[in-house]
Amino acid sequence: MAKFGGWAGKVLRVNLSSGRIWTEDTVEHYRDVLGGTGIGYKVLWNEVAAGTKPFDPANKIIFGVGPLAGTGAPCNGRTAITTLFPTCWPKPLVGTGHMGGQFAAELKYAGFDAVIVEGKADHPVWLSIVDKKAEIKDARRLWGQGIRRATIEISQELGPDAAVAAIGQAGENLVPMSVIMNSYSHSAGGVGAVMGSKNLKAIGVRGTGSVRIAGKKEAWEKLVKYHLSLLGANNQHVVPSTPQPWAEYSSPTRWVASKGRKWGASNPVIDTGTCDPHDLNRIAYRTTNSAYYLGDIAWQYTVRGNGCTGCPIRCHTLLKVPAVSAKYGIPETGMNTCGGLNFGRSFFKKFPDGPRGQGNLEACMVGMHMADDYGIWCNYSQLQRDFIKLYYDGTIKSKIPEKEFKSYSWDKYEGGDPAFLFELLPRIAMKDGELATALGQGTGYLLEKWGLSEEQWGEDKDLLYWKMGHPKHHSNEEVGQCGVIINTQYNRDVQCHSHTKFTRNGLPIDVQKRLAADIWGTPDAVDAMGAYTPMNMGKAQMAKWSLIRKELHDSLSLCNWMGPWVASPLKERGYRGDDSLESMLYTLATGDKKSREELDLVGERILLLHRALTIRDMGTKEMRTQHDIIPEWVYHDPNNKPVYTKGTIHLDRDDMKLAMDMYYEMMGWDKATGAPPAEAYKKLGLAKVGEELGKKNLLP
Amino acid sequence: MDNNKEQQEIFQLFLDSTELNNLFSRRQFLKLSGISIVGISALSPLLARAATSPLIILEQAKGVIIADPTKCVACRRCELACTEFNDGKAKPSMARIKVARNMNFGPKGAYAGQNGEGNWGKGLIVQDLCKQCPHPVPCADACPNDAIVAIPPINARVVDAKKCVGCRMCQNACPWEMMSFDTDTSKATKCTLCNGKPKCVEACPAEALTYTSWRDLTDKVPVRISPVAMIPAEKATMCYECHKK
Repeated sequence: MAKFGGWAGKVLRVNLSSGRIWTEDTVEHYRDVLGGTGIGYKVLWNEVAAGTKPFDPANKIIFGVGPLAGTGAPCNGRTAITTLFPTCWPKPLVGTGHMGGQFAAELKYAGFDAVIVEGKADHPVWLSIVDKKAEIKDARRLWGQGIRRATIEISQELGPDAAVAAIGQAGENLVPMSVIMNSYSHSAGGVGAVMGSKNLKAIGVRGTGSVRIAGKKEAWEKLVKYHLSLLGANNQHVVPSTPQPWAEYSSPTRWVASKGRKWGASNPVIDTGTCDPHDLNRIAYRTTNSAYYLGDIAWQYTVRGNGCTGCPIRCHTLLKVPAVSAKYGIPETGMNTCGGLNFGRSFFKKFPDGPRGQGNLEACMVGMHMADDYGIWCNYSQLQRDFIKLYYDGTIKSKIPEKEFKSYSWDKYEGGDPAFLFELLPRIAMKDGELATALGQGTGYLLEKWGLSEEQWGEDKDLLYWKMGHPKHHSNEEVGQCGVIINTQYNRDVQCHSHTKFTRNGLPIDVQKRLAADIWGTPDAVDAMGAYTPMNMGKAQMAKWSLIRKELHDSLSLCNWMGPWVASPLKERGYRGDDSLESMLYTLATGDKKSREELDLVGERILLLHRALTIRDMGTKEMRTQHDIIPEWVYHDPNNKPVYTKGTIHLDRDDMKLAMDMYYEMMGWDKATGAPPAEAYKKLGLAKVGEELGKKNLLP
Repeated sequence: MDNNKEQQEIFQLFLDSTELNNLFSRRQFLKLSGISIVGISALSPLLARAATSPLIILEQAKGVIIADPTKCVACRRCELACTEFNDGKAKPSMARIKVARNMNFGPKGAYAGQNGEGNWGKGLIVQDLCKQCPHPVPCADACPNDAIVAIPPINARVVDAKKCVGCRMCQNACPWEMMSFDTDTSKATKCTLCNGKPKCVEACPAEALTYTSWRDLTDKVPVRISPVAMIPAEKATMCYECHKK
């Protein structure tokens, strides 16, 4: 028996140029970085030279899952896909796409903790992985097909319970704004075209093996049930959105269940009910994201929730809207959450029946149908925000040929007719015309191509643009300085939710402050949203913790949209969650005993490796001025409200300088450059990484 | 125990086991077997084996798990609870409740494409569960080693791992494909009802599963396959004794 539980034990390696397939021992090579993004960063560091381009055969794409994937630990369905990120501007750097669904668990049951693909096949192929056996198969008949058909045909070959991660036409055509998608509605943004560049249409996985739990089964059962008892709704919102008989508070959260709110398209209908948090058999009803995003109209069209393997929080919603079948010729059912659910509607400025009516809903149905088949990415809706801005300020008309401009039905667009999406979305996937090609490149390259100013994009608060071609992702609108710090650290929109899930969990600020004192050492670590106070070390501590946990989750395969679980819906616990859940789950599943502090150090190591990769590939240590950039809109209020007054989210420039100082200090990094010194690498077991950077003069 | 008393007890056991079975009622049994209570000696082929191996007639299960597919949200926590909390490993392929195989395309499988059920079709997720069959118990009948037995007090049909040789005949016998196989131990396994506290029912976050008193679902749930397993010759002889015209 393997020494450790949790891990499947092997990493699958595939060279599509040579056709070679081999394996590595996971624990031997990657235990120090756990899995997921950890494996991804380590492989890029060791094996992909600085200067490699995303679509070069030498680039590698790493599908990484972690020791908790496929277990019964709640919220473990995540796969992290690491590669050189095509939409990162002006120079592609390391980035990760993340998907839920069934792929992560199935990969583990098939015997692998990661799949690392390199090279380029000389014709379209797909990778078949069935119970420890991998084969490269001909995909010529699938090339040019959408994700739906590719998945169904591969499922017919592998069996109905296979998990298939596929690209659509967008990925095939090397459109940087493309996804990899599995399990109908679970996509990883921005990485589809890297698969396309390797002529890799899909990875189909079928596994009948097991993930062994190292600890005693009784202890594991107890821990899992304890974890479940601390869950809230989606994004770990722990307070219901409407008053409930059991609840002390209510707040506009994603916990939308209530008596009388029904999944109306279920047959017969299902009442979501009061959902007392002690009733673990009703967790799945707490969340209905269709209604959260689209308003009350969505209830009647909701069939049920859906989501990842082993997650009781069903953040995807299955909708059934019969009208769209007759009206647009698309299936009457559709399913997704957040950006995927909102994909279609976000292109439109207005709809005839208002922002939360039928038109809005139908645009979502059309958008999901198209985007999730062609495999188009939204870049956290920056695609749509750019489109609205570029159309209404006349840029599109001025930048594309007149004939092409007239080929679009702009009257339909302005009138909020979802049918407009049938004109636009296939062209993005096919790179058909100047407009669609530019949109498909991502914001940074679009601006460059059309000679527009990135600075101007960063000044416009409505665009929510941040830097390097990507938007903000839970920044100062929700978590003040801490949110801003976090948004400076990555090379795409930040995939970190540790911080926002706390400030938006629905608890009153006095309760949040009490919890914050326990977790980050001071109640001042958190402010009420939009009522900020000057920077302090507690906020820097919260930023560091948030980022570490993000990497920890992405490497263990825990969902950072749900964890960490430091607040709970339980009044009798004073709404405390448990900051040690990750280490307890890791220890029991793997048998590798690690305390919370020890595991956080591993998370910090993974985060540092990301920093090192970014520094190496940028070729500069001047991170503070060249990478950790804050857009101008953060410093301005449209109504000129003074900073730190209630109702404004803007922050003070000098205070943000202090904030970055404090963050670098907290991380042990150089304040002047924002680069980690040799000691920082050494402390986290990455001394050799530090030495290599030293040789390139990339240490402060 | 004297022979006569034993015969009566076994006969009663059989009647109990079929009392809720529409297909094979007490009256039918008496008619088919051509015997009366007085003529119980006709059962002697069954009784002859009683001392050494279990009968093909098992004591009726006390409970059964029923599922509401309209409430299933496809999280598979039932499959994970079944294997992690009973076996110490996450292994949905050997879960005794089966959701994954219907989850994407419904019970008709991938060839239904987007025209079936499941996440890719109309959305319904069908959970497959052991019926804890009355008589006949196809998995137990097919086992050449009599390894599938009723364990009191719940009387769930359970694989005795010590007797199981991993021949997989039971897998080919269940019309609902509810037998599982542990590839790590090469033993068959099936739903044990967890001694009356099923882990899957506890684990469901959508109240889609219920543990309840036994009722006959064998004529209510469509079968998945036409079983191909042979009943071992000795047992077939016993079947014949009762079912002969």
